[in-house]
Amino acid sequence: MSDAAATLTQDRQRLELSALSAPAVIFTVAMIAFPVVYTIWLGFQSFSSTGQQSFAGLANYAKLASDYEFWHGLWVTIALYVLSLFLQLVFGVWLALVLFHAKRLPGIVRSMFISPFMMPPVVAGMMWLVILDPSLGAANYILQSLGLPPSEWLASPTWVIPTVALIDSWQWTPYVALIVLGGLQSLPPSVYEAAQIDGASPFKTFQRITLPLLLPTIVTAAILRSVDLLRFFDIIYITTQGGPGNASNTLNIYGFRVGFEFFNIGYASALMLTLTAIVFGAVLAFNRLRGAVAW
Amino acid sequence: MTDAPTTDRWIRHLNLLQLVLAGIIIMTPTVWMVLSSLKPSFEVTAYPPTLVFSPTLENYVELMKTTPFVSYAVNSLIVTIGSTSLGLLFGIPAAFAVSWTRISWPAILTLAARMAPGTLFLLPWYVMFRQVGMIGSYTALILSHAVITLPIVIWVLMPSFDGIPRSVFEAAQVDGCSVTRILWRIALPLVGSGVAVAAILAFVFSWNYFLFALVLSNGDSKTLIAAAFNFIGEGSTQWGALMAAATLIALPPLILAALVQRWLVSGLTLGAVKG
Amino acid sequence: MNARMFAARVALPVLAVVAVSAQASAADFDWKKFQGKTVTFLANNNPVSQALLSYKADFEKLTGITLKVDGYQEQQMRQRLVTVMNARSDEVDVFMTLPSREGEQFAVSGWYADLSAMSKNEAATDYDLAGLSQALLKAGTFSGKLTSMPMNIEGPILYYRTDILKKCGVEKPATIKDVEAAAQKIKACDSTITPFVSRGLKPAVAYTFSNMLHNIGGSYMANGKSNLCSPKGKETLDTYSRLLRDYGPPGVVNYSFQQISALYRSGRAAMSFESSNELRTVMDGGERLKDTGLAPFPAGEAGQVPTAIGWGMAVSAYSKQPSAAWYFVQWATSPEIQKRMALQGIAPPRPAVANDPEYRKWIDAEPVRKEWQAALDVLATKGSSEVGYPIVANPQSREFIGQAVQDLILKQKTVDQACADADKELDALIAQK
Repeated sequence: MSDAAATLTQDRQRLELSALSAPAVIFTVAMIAFPVVYTIWLGFQSFSSTGQQSFAGLANYAKLASDYEFWHGLWVTIALYVLSLFLQLVFGVWLALVLFHAKRLPGIVRSMFISPFMMPPVVAGMMWLVILDPSLGAANYILQSLGLPPSEWLASPTWVIPTVALIDSWQWTPYVALIVLGGLQSLPPSVYEAAQIDGASPFKTFQRITLPLLLPTIVTAAILRSVDLLRFFDIIYITTQGGPGNASNTLNIYGFRVGFEFFNIGYASALMLTLTAIVFGAVLAFNRLRGAVAW
Repeated sequence: MTDAPTTDRWIRHLNLLQLVLAGIIIMTPTVWMVLSSLKPSFEVTAYPPTLVFSPTLENYVELMKTTPFVSYAVNSLIVTIGSTSLGLLFGIPAAFAVSWTRISWPAILTLAARMAPGTLFLLPWYVMFRQVGMIGSYTALILSHAVITLPIVIWVLMPSFDGIPRSVFEAAQVDGCSVTRILWRIALPLVGSGVAVAAILAFVFSWNYFLFALVLSNGDSKTLIAAAFNFIGEGSTQWGALMAAATLIALPPLILAALVQRWLVSGLTLGAVKG
Repeated sequence: MNARMFAARVALPVLAVVAVSAQASAADFDWKKFQGKTVTFLANNNPVSQALLSYKADFEKLTGITLKVDGYQEQQMRQRLVTVMNARSDEVDVFMTLPSREGEQFAVSGWYADLSAMSKNEAATDYDLAGLSQALLKAGTFSGKLTSMPMNIEGPILYYRTDILKKCGVEKPATIKDVEAAAQKIKACDSTITPFVSRGLKPAVAYTFSNMLHNIGGSYMANGKSNLCSPKGKETLDTYSRLLRDYGPPGVVNYSFQQISALYRSGRAAMSFESSNELRTVMDGGERLKDTGLAPFPAGEAGQVPTAIGWGMAVSAYSKQPSAAWYFVQWATSPEIQKRMALQGIAPPRPAVANDPEYRKWIDAEPVRKEWQAALDVLATKGSSEVGYPIVANPQSREFIGQAVQDLILKQKTVDQACADADKELDALIAQK
């Protein structure tokens, strides 16, 4: 084959490969470019309560700085994020280890373990709403039958964030576990054998060998959950709508309410774009972290 | 050091105990929901909660009688199957190309849509689809849901393609196969389980998504999830019917999960580990 | 529509009353004028629309118009409406609206078509515009434009358990102070019963709170400023939150109609201050049929000023066929349909319907219905439609009222702090133009 022919084939090949990813790229751009541009434009508009729309420059963003609800929403978002992510990573790794050691699990049992994240969040929210109702729900009945004090769950400003985090963790811990399980299965068996010969205890083996090797997988799981957790919406939309008071008013819920309940589309757009920037920043940061722990 | 087999047995027992514990925590709420849907409507919020009751299907009958449940389900199926197909159609070649070239920006681009809150898209998409007269059409819903399914397909399939040894492709190239032909004839059959997982996950996440349908559908094309809210309404909150609806809505994803659980671990996790 | 035609439709039958029967003049009205058109109706999926839409086929038969219904729960309906209206879409012709909440905001945003002319000139002869509750019509009028036609009348009323009151030796409360005294006695007499329950959910509080504020004689605004820190404002905040904190169920800050009705229906609350629309839910299963009494909320220093509002039916300003849309609106709010809806338990916004013999018969069939109607009569005659601040940003003003009440229920602030904080936010909201 001559050089020219080889280059021709390579060019052709490159063209073909571009053509293969083109539909996905074009589709995505077609679907998200307009919304992003439109939302940026809306973010510069002021919709006064008298119905007039006018160019407001950066007024909506300036308002963010002095808006107590925004800062509070940021705090709620971060608190909920950190707590949920912590619970899901810890219990996810635990569940993965348990499943990893239970080699011969019937398929139906295994699918039970992954069922929560297959369930529509709307359904999960409604289900937990009924169970956690302080006066009517089963949760408090169980607590009281066990001689424990009842909780107000979603109705307590102190407990609402932990409760929402628990609901989300119920749903997504199995997802994290599944990812970590895959990581476990891809580890070479030789590392365990070496540790066993050294007479290391199971706990030591985990701490010294398994965990460091699993770290990249865990960080990946953290990225995937971060994208959703920072935009926390579904469960709160169904259960508390940001309440009681504003105790569970995440940025996403706040932005939604500003736009669709108080009809201030301009400010809502500024809020949503700010949230998008935060999610984007978090993903970038995690991506670097993953580079640092990769083996 | 203790007797090794004894320690092993203890560890196995301990593991079993933890397994049962996890199983109980995971399954109890779902079981409770299903049980509630079989109670007489006003017994759902009875206190103390009744554990012993005569199961009835009245909530399900009521649901079918008072709502066009079946036609909502058909809408959901059309939108979900449509968006899953579209996701596969665009996603499979893209995943292959990214895996081949190691140029990952197209994959990251498709993920970008997931970083913005869903509410951001509502008004712009409404404006956009209105321009072309597609509000209330299945097409608009399918396109919007494909934004969810596409990255799933790509990110699940990329590592599956990565797993195929390069030599297989090179041999085919020597035989004069074009890249496209290699994809459809050689690579795709090798990643069958990956495609199955991608398709199922795309199906589940599309089925479960409610926000877009609230705005882009109308009375005729409303999806099941969007309609689910209608069971909590002033003067008409029917907890029993709500639980019955919740059970039925959750059923298709759960059945699919059971069908693919075998491949799910490998398919989903490869994506995460190497993605 | 010109003046001559108007005369032909309205004035002539009056002049020729001897010769032409009312029947014939009704027939003059051409219901089939928009035959073949399709009208889209964005509905809030509540008992009002459910009752109305049970006659959907009749409307389509009468007019030849195809009615496309898009029904959602209230919040989702609003979400959809906001999107549709912001896009200036003609997709929705008719929508349901709460003038007391969003009326002013939607009106200044130009979302409502003006119904003033159509309701006079394009109405069937038996429409009887004057027969609709004048208070509700006024509540739906902004800057002289009639923006929606009332579909029903509703408001919060007190549901109370006659058997528990009797058991605990409590009289039916006649004043707000009596309510608290009764709650105290019930708490002491039966600890398994929640003595009093009402709305604690932040955006929902204003509905019931406003009733108490007006009964006590307070007002939301004075001299263009928020007035929650006035003595009566503080008294209301204090009383409302104390009732819920000391005598309400745990978790009351998340309570809206769903939870309140479920609690009362299951027999676990002695007094429930909730919407008159919830009668059907509360009576579901029949257990509360015989032991429930109903009344407007007991009097305060200013007597009884119950909250009385109604859902309205509006034509979208962006509708391409306002006249056809109006046909649906006038059919839906006509005396005939409102009578039929009344027989399904939708309180009619027409005093004449309330006195209709057939409806009276339905009312008299159950003692509970009688008390319900009596309470609604009080609402219709003495009611105020002010729920939250009478400003454009009314929906947002409700948040701050709710916040203040929740701060007190949860003991996070003193009354002085709570009202001052709310006043500060509300003054800013009032100043916003």
